[in-house]
Amino acid sequence: MKRYRNKFIYGAGLVLFAILPWTLGVYNQHVLIVCLFYTMMAASWNLLAGYTGQISFGHAAFAGIGAYASGILAVKAGLHPWVGVIAGTGLAALFGLLVGMLCLRMGGIYLSLTTLGFSEILHIVINNEYEITRGTMGLQVPGLMVDYSKLAYFYIFLAATLFTLVVVYKLVHSNAGLNFRAVQNDERAASALGVDVVRVRLLAFTVSSGLAGLAGALYGHYMLLITPHIPSLDQQFLVLSMTVIGGLGSFVGPVIGAFCLEILSEYIRAWGEYHVLVFGLIALIVARFAPKGLVGIYKARWGKSRPAAA
Amino acid sequence: MKLIQGIGIKKTFGGIKALSDVDFEVEEGTIVGLIGPNGAGKTTLFNIVAGAFAPTSGTVRFEGREITGWPAYKVCRSGIARTFQVTRPFGEMSCLENVAVSVVNRQSGISRSQWTTLAAECLETVGLSDFRATEARHLNVIQKKRLEIARALATRPRLLMLDEVLGGLNSQEVQESIDFIRGLRDEKGLTVLWIEHVMGAIMQATEKVIVLDQGSVLTTGTPESVVNDPRVIQAYLGD
Repeated sequence: MKRYRNKFIYGAGLVLFAILPWTLGVYNQHVLIVCLFYTMMAASWNLLAGYTGQISFGHAAFAGIGAYASGILAVKAGLHPWVGVIAGTGLAALFGLLVGMLCLRMGGIYLSLTTLGFSEILHIVINNEYEITRGTMGLQVPGLMVDYSKLAYFYIFLAATLFTLVVVYKLVHSNAGLNFRAVQNDERAASALGVDVVRVRLLAFTVSSGLAGLAGALYGHYMLLITPHIPSLDQQFLVLSMTVIGGLGSFVGPVIGAFCLEILSEYIRAWGEYHVLVFGLIALIVARFAPKGLVGIYKARWGKSRPAAA
Repeated sequence: MKLIQGIGIKKTFGGIKALSDVDFEVEEGTIVGLIGPNGAGKTTLFNIVAGAFAPTSGTVRFEGREITGWPAYKVCRSGIARTFQVTRPFGEMSCLENVAVSVVNRQSGISRSQWTTLAAECLETVGLSDFRATEARHLNVIQKKRLEIARALATRPRLLMLDEVLGGLNSQEVQESIDFIRGLRDEKGLTVLWIEHVMGAIMQATEKVIVLDQGSVLTTGTPESVVNDPRVIQAYLGD
């Protein structure tokens, strides 16, 4: 009975949310779309960081790969943007797989360092390969549809966000999800029980990178201009803050974090780049005093203890 | 038939010799004790057999096949399960999920309802049925040790390696555990290699005892012959 009630509440919430942009102005519609972009980013980063305990600093870089791959294919090769989006997603996943194979065997801090390096390398390449990427000027790309419509983009992003969330949910609740959590809890014990730790990490990393690529590719075709800001560390730390503040390792945490921080950042836009600093500080405080984020605080205060998983 | 066999196993950590030239073998269907004073290298030997790390030199054979240097997950899938002396539960997962990790890696593609049933059976055999939904970090030390055994059994091993599972138990619980482990051998045909400091249990449960001292095998024999061996007594008590 309770299960159906929850489903009903989620369904109703989703319908209300889907109607919401009709009541809003163009600016607020834009904010919602950006919220959805960050939800995709935070949810896919959470798959890696929250469920397998691997902290990657290359998530924005993979979004950048998706965006630039799709954009360049559309501009230079004249491919349809939708084909580009699929190619961008695939390429980001492929890069994830390759970077993962390079450093996941070592685990722990090495993944963080390698992805940090990878992110910077990508940034430098994009800035310098002016002929292809147009450097800091940004690459102008076509939109996903002939007639530009914020509403249409909203529904595309909503669908992509739901897709991302479903992928994360299904994976975490599958047998692979058991392995994810086992690896996060205790690698040595996991491998002693037959878990191929490297393969498990690689799976999470590849899927997570591919989903970041999807988010980035769609974002590029929405903004119509792809700049090196998409694969920047600013973006990376914003996504990290959203996930940590919302609730690392919880399913709804990144969604809540993405919406709260994106909407908040619209209000403190006047502070310029300082808002990333502010979010970083909040994330630090949350990580120290409420490691499970807003979701954790909510559960500790108002949540009933979880019923038996079986 | 020799189920597991180690030949000339050597392990150094930096300049420290943890094991030098260890030969041992365990016959299929037996319970073999591995004893020795602290620092003798018992757990190091376990780690090498289980693939936690590779030996510096030497060979490990399981069912006649060389498994030296295999990664731990592969050793496990080939039929060797081990428990950890200091328990390593997946603290934030329920007991059922802890055991399920073993089950899904033994039988890939198994459905949720199937692994739930199998994992629940394993929890029942170690008497943890009431704790299915409890997060493992909430268990006490003894329950954590039982969970270790349940997880190991759920990998459906042919060789079970136990690392001090009796510590902290009272005499009645020790007896129950001995009966349980003998039952595993008698009913399921498991072979057991068992590190234990509780000598009464070794005397009662094992057919053969391997004594390690300072990284090499001091002697091997029946439990009675080993405890009466002056060299063994000397190793434990010092000169």
